[in-house]
Amino acid sequence: MRDVAIIGVGMIPFGRRDEDSLLDMLAYASLKALDDAGMGDKTVNAVYVGNMGAGIIQHQTSIASSLVDRLSLLPAAADVVENGPASGGSAVKNGLLAVASGYYDYVLVAGGEKMREITGWRATDFVATMTHPEVEYPYGITLPGMAGMFTQLYMEKYGVTREHLLAVTLKNHEMGALNPYAHVEMLLDRGGIFDSPHAVVNNPVAATPLHLYDLCPVSDGAAAVILCPLEMATKLQKKPPVLIAGFGQATDTHTLQERDDPTDLKAVTLAAQQAFDMAKLKPKDIDVAELHDAFTILEIAESEHIGFFKKGEGGKAAAAGKTRLGGQIPINVSGGLKSRGHPVGATGVAQLVEITFQLRHELPKDRQVKGAKHGFTINFGGFGNNVVSFVLKRTEP
Amino acid sequence: MKNEIAITAFQCKKCGRIHYPFHDRCLECKKSEFEKIKPQGNAKLLTYTAIYNLPWGFEQRFLIIGIAEFENKIKAMGQIKVDSIDDLKLGMKVRPSWESVRVQAGEDVFGLKFEPIG
Repeated sequence: MRDVAIIGVGMIPFGRRDEDSLLDMLAYASLKALDDAGMGDKTVNAVYVGNMGAGIIQHQTSIASSLVDRLSLLPAAADVVENGPASGGSAVKNGLLAVASGYYDYVLVAGGEKMREITGWRATDFVATMTHPEVEYPYGITLPGMAGMFTQLYMEKYGVTREHLLAVTLKNHEMGALNPYAHVEMLLDRGGIFDSPHAVVNNPVAATPLHLYDLCPVSDGAAAVILCPLEMATKLQKKPPVLIAGFGQATDTHTLQERDDPTDLKAVTLAAQQAFDMAKLKPKDIDVAELHDAFTILEIAESEHIGFFKKGEGGKAAAAGKTRLGGQIPINVSGGLKSRGHPVGATGVAQLVEITFQLRHELPKDRQVKGAKHGFTINFGGFGNNVVSFVLKRTEP
Repeated sequence: MKNEIAITAFQCKKCGRIHYPFHDRCLECKKSEFEKIKPQGNAKLLTYTAIYNLPWGFEQRFLIIGIAEFENKIKAMGQIKVDSIDDLKLGMKVRPSWESVRVQAGEDVFGLKFEPIG
């Protein structure tokens, strides 16, 4: 197996992008990544597109074929990879394996989703198609609903409080306000969403015990990375290559009800462990992490399952500022899904774009983790039933 | 007339693990012989939530949904018949029923509902 590096990244601001089609967004992000890598007219051997819902939302299929055509990358191999909200992570994994195997040298991985052109009702229903079609979906369960049931149990078992969840919300909005790619560049005020009379109106219940600001927004957006063998990267690229030092992927039962302990996110633990083992690193070696905070509880639960904190300590750590920039382990310095947004197919790729920025040390001071060498991501599919994880490593001293 | 609870769970003949929904192979021991079992008695509420942002197809303001465990250990999701989430507690006893849970294309879709006992 060859070592594989990220040699270029590209991303467009997430948000509501009425003027752009899904293909436009994928093309913009891809062109930025190709340029960032200094690819020029070099041949791209294969393109992987992470996307969950073009067939449902846009009534458009085979978008990877459309993208290679649009970008004049013909006759590159082209595939769409669908793994729910972990589609982006899975697409990168497929690109990584293709390069590592020696079959392809240059691979473009793009992730994108356009979710704002349908009503909230339809978007909620679209995301709920991930639930079990016979024993969950008919009841009207939604992903926020799954997260609500999970939070109820997590609070009971580990003593997580709304105060802990609030710490995640405030931190991620604070960082998102500094990120030009973020969907919700808005600082939030504790009183406004938590403990003033206005909070009831500003931050209504979404799925008990979770409130509106415990949930990520529904977003449009796209992100892209260029992969190639590390040995070739050092000869080509304009910027320091970032090594994909490890990856992991694991699955769990489709339904929450069949897990022996529904608070145990086994797939997160396993995927992270695989990534750490491959990279020969431990959680304590990580300088910056992008976790899948589609719901604030997930940032806390994932931080524990990965091994950044002991079970029951993640909420307290967030409230104590240990996950802030400058803290013990900065988490979601991008603003996370919570503030950057969650165009589902794009998220896993966007996480790697952010970590690449961090490991190349090219972010402004108020967002850069000083001297970051090792980065980590979790891309959480379904309700934890298909999870993809990466460990990235800076290649320069 | 009360509707029968139309749920079938599958108990592995080798290791006894109960599956709902169906799996072709046991989640525990990977064997593929199962005995069909029906839910028995009342159930214990394991978790619940009130959802206010409902998917397309639901007209009401909110829905309360939970997962409960029957006396013979089958676990299943269902809608909960209470006016307020304040009427619920983790671990409380609930009575199951089989009723319309949504309407699709003008047809009732039947499923589990739970109601607190006492």
